[in-house]
Amino acid sequence: MNQVSITVNGKKHEREVSSRMLLVHFLRDVLQLTGTHIGCDTSSCGACTVLLDGKAVKACTFLAVQADGRQVTTIEGLSDGNGSLHPLQEAFNECHGLQCGFCTPGMIMMASDLLARNASPSEGEIRHALEGNFCRCTGYHNIVRSVQHAAEKIQSNA
Amino acid sequence: MSKYIGESVKRVEDKRFTTGKGRYTDDIVLPGMTYAYILRSPHAHARINSIDTAKAKNMDGVVAIFTGKDIANAEINGVPCGWQVDFKNGDTMHEPPHPLLVADKARHVGDGIAIVIAEDRYIARDAADEIEVDYEILDAVVSPEKAAAADAPRVHDELPNNMAFDWSLGNPIDEVDAAIESAHHVTSLDFVNQRLVANAIEPRSAIGHYDTTNDHYTLYTSSQNPHLIRLLMCAFVLNLPEHKVRVVSPDVGGGFGSKIFHYTEEALVTWCSGQIKRPVKWTAERSESFVTDAHGRDHVTKADMAFDQDGKITALRVKTYAGMGAYLSTFAPAVPTYLHGTLLQGLYTTPLINVDVVATFTNTVAVDAYRGAGRPEATYLLERLVENGAHEMGIDPAELRFKNFIPAFDGVDQPGYQTQVALQYDSGNYEEVLKKALEMVGYDDLRAQQKNASERRTL
Ligand code: FES
Ligand code: FES
Repeated sequence: MNQVSITVNGKKHEREVSSRMLLVHFLRDVLQLTGTHIGCDTSSCGACTVLLDGKAVKACTFLAVQADGRQVTTIEGLSDGNGSLHPLQEAFNECHGLQCGFCTPGMIMMASDLLARNASPSEGEIRHALEGNFCRCTGYHNIVRSVQHAAEKIQSNA
Repeated sequence: MSKYIGESVKRVEDKRFTTGKGRYTDDIVLPGMTYAYILRSPHAHARINSIDTAKAKNMDGVVAIFTGKDIANAEINGVPCGWQVDFKNGDTMHEPPHPLLVADKARHVGDGIAIVIAEDRYIARDAADEIEVDYEILDAVVSPEKAAAADAPRVHDELPNNMAFDWSLGNPIDEVDAAIESAHHVTSLDFVNQRLVANAIEPRSAIGHYDTTNDHYTLYTSSQNPHLIRLLMCAFVLNLPEHKVRVVSPDVGGGFGSKIFHYTEEALVTWCSGQIKRPVKWTAERSESFVTDAHGRDHVTKADMAFDQDGKITALRVKTYAGMGAYLSTFAPAVPTYLHGTLLQGLYTTPLINVDVVATFTNTVAVDAYRGAGRPEATYLLERLVENGAHEMGIDPAELRFKNFIPAFDGVDQPGYQTQVALQYDSGNYEEVLKKALEMVGYDDLRAQQKNASERRTL
């Protein structure tokens, strides 16, 4: 067992974890932050995407001990917590960017990583950034539109 | 209603999904919950000589292990098929048992051998690695057509062959054969409509919860069909009165058909929970989904379409071998029959149609309804035949369709259209629809460009 200190959505968590515990199980089973999903357990689908020190990682292929001393942001921590939604969360609703919603947290986290690097991505850049995230329901077009729409919202508020 | 027509209507359920507050089955944690891992056959066909669970049972954190023998000893039935299609000669459909865990032999890769229940997911998986299974590997059959051969490996030892049923629909076969023999032109095609995995992004998950104080069960399951699953599980598998069982489908992460069926794991976690008196959660890993979620399609078809000299379709003959997999899933027999044969009139006035289906067991994952279920398979083969027929006879494919469309009928002043394959259509105006579509795509220009391009030998 290892003692870790991981800051998740701004809150520090000190826990004992086994060396092999995956970050995604730490989030889901230990902290009960179940917004981060597991779709494949093989780094293929992106449903488990979270931000680690601001950069997107697939939490199913990352050990909890590797996150020791670092900052994790999950879908639950994306908005400011005062009841208002992040522009990406609004845009996915406005552009019908989801159906079953299972891929959505991963899509939104990946898109937030993209928008932090590139405030107004082209359609091609969005598709490239999301290529590690699978959606079986929507056919992707409306997900791409949602990200574009969120980028516009963020820019017009800036 | 009028304020919705032509308007974009926002979904009301999105907020919980975009904020990570959805509640899918694997998100649910119950007090005292245990985690199950199912050891599965790595072989397509293998006799189970022995299973040794002693070492696994002694591991720290292991709560219980059950094998196929335990299920058989408890006299738990397998999951039933919910749709019966009898043989053409009147014999009853062959429905071999689909046990929750197999005791005698594994019939496909992924067949359940043992369930390990432990305090957490990691321990359950570690313990499963310590179970020793002595398999005797048998020859396997995977092709729906080869499975029908007399000397094919037998998927179910107790059956005389690998046939689940055979079935036909339409006009008498000798009339159809005669029309094809005397036709001006016959287009023949072989089709393999390959099997596929539905792959919903949320792996299947189920939690069985037996409440000892009230003698009541709750099953949480990632399902499109909770009501029917309660009926099937209570009446056919666990022999429980329905008022003692509640089935809850919380948020479901896609299904596309594959989450409509009653799966062994649902009954298994429910029964196990009653045995250990604690909740039992099982969630599939992705590779497990591949070998346990019902697959789709798996049709091998030979089809012939006959035409007269004017390009009028005079007959259609379809022979399909439909792979059922190793067991009959809930609706599997309906897919290549009532959902397939009945579509073969399509939009055309074909006066003679015969469809013949042979459904076989193979050493593969069970097949069932997936996105359209039998109907896309039928439409695909029909339209391929029309398209190829047009090219072979040198008639424009659109022109050939216009020649053969059922004339417009509104179903009010004109009666519905009675097909040769049981269905009656309520109304239709196929000619106008195709005309409009051709206009919208600029069909004549497209064909001219195509001709031009092929003359220049470019794509
Ligand atoms: S669950 Fe991590 S990539 Fe699919
Ligand atoms: S919305 Fe269902 S998988 Fe993307």
